[in-house]
Amino acid sequence: MRKLVAVALLALYATSAHSEYLYGISGNMAGAGHTWGMNGIGPGNTRGLRVNGVFYQYTPVKNTEDDMVVHVRNKRVGGGYIFSSTDDWSGLPGGIPITKGFIIDNLPIELWGDGSIDVEGTGSVIDANVVYSYKYNNDCLTPMSDPSCPGYAEAVLGMMGKIDVTTYDPMDDKNITDVLKEKADLEADSEQDEEDEDSDRLERILSGVDESVLTANIISQNRLMYSLTRNSNMNPYYIKKLAGGVYKETVVLDGGNLPDNKKGARAGLAQQILHTKMVSMQYDPKE
Amino acid sequence: MKKLLVAGLVLAVHIPAFATDTPIVGNVQTRCLITTDTNGVFGNPLPSKLSTASADGGVVPVVRYDVTLADAYLAKVTTPTAFSASPSLSDSVTWTGSTAVSKTSDAAMSGYEAAKVTYGSTTQFDLTKAGSTWFSSTATAVYGVSKSFPGGSYTAIVLAECIAK
Repeated sequence: MRKLVAVALLALYATSAHSEYLYGISGNMAGAGHTWGMNGIGPGNTRGLRVNGVFYQYTPVKNTEDDMVVHVRNKRVGGGYIFSSTDDWSGLPGGIPITKGFIIDNLPIELWGDGSIDVEGTGSVIDANVVYSYKYNNDCLTPMSDPSCPGYAEAVLGMMGKIDVTTYDPMDDKNITDVLKEKADLEADSEQDEEDEDSDRLERILSGVDESVLTANIISQNRLMYSLTRNSNMNPYYIKKLAGGVYKETVVLDGGNLPDNKKGARAGLAQQILHTKMVSMQYDPKE
Repeated sequence: MKKLLVAGLVLAVHIPAFATDTPIVGNVQTRCLITTDTNGVFGNPLPSKLSTASADGGVVPVVRYDVTLADAYLAKVTTPTAFSASPSLSDSVTWTGSTAVSKTSDAAMSGYEAAKVTYGSTTQFDLTKAGSTWFSSTATAVYGVSKSFPGGSYTAIVLAECIAK
């Protein structure tokens, strides 16, 4: 039964799947230092986030005669670099900001490792600003939006754990056990009594089985309806109680005696006399 | 008579001369694009002074040159020497200005600043690399001898040109 309910819920959630790309730009990833992780870009729990642009700016601080090379890059998960841009400032004056933008071919975020600004030689980098642009699917903002979303199964099972799922065991059903017990008793009864009572007991057996099947259907229907309306908190309605709990009879018969309705009796008698007269008219001789 | 008519028709057919004009079309795509990156604003730190310097409450105008062909263009930026629009002024205005490289898209462009040539109010840069270069210009106007500018709106123009070498 638990499996059936889970499958039903999975099917229900699967019907709401859709795809639409949204676009965004990260903040300055190099704001807190010259190394950064890529977990912070984009809204959380998105599926298929892809980086489609890198923009950076910094100001080199160096003497013209010094050699300095600046690398702005991201490691590739698994080895190497997925993005790397090198500026060779050797023999060039510093102090003038450099800004660059790169179009990236929608590389999945899963490939992007930590980013860094590395300086080789004599000099430093100030006012660094590294920004990533990206696109992503919006259909996994909640894991249960789509069965293909990461964490979908865990989310559904987690929600199942919050629902008090009571399994239906026919052998625990009093109606079933009573019927089975009665059936066993039937075998011990005499054949004469069996013939007389067979039809009556069969009706009761069928009635009990029908009632059990009906109960099982009601339970499963209730579970299905509960899963469909789980977002609506029905508790506020359940806890409502009648004031006082009992509605008592308020109509009191004055005197406790109901006299005959003589007027009504007369009207009824007159109607009856008229009816009799009309019926008897058919037997009147024709003129 | 019939023969003459036929001869006349033949002549008439051959009288129009066929001639065609074949055009030659070519498009020259610009390889130097100038874009205003930031509009300048005058600050008024003193009654007699208007300045784009941020320290004076102004905003420095920035113009961007996008060059796709290296070593083919000169960038000429001229700071203003007069108001293009202002209230009526009865005294002279003294202008000072300068232009500098404020940002580049290539490390090699950092040498533009050291190699710039200034004459009058014009600063010339040799765009030896392909890419984008941002130039910022400061402009200061002082009215008379510590004379207050009349109230009103003042507008001045920074002229940015891209000259093919």
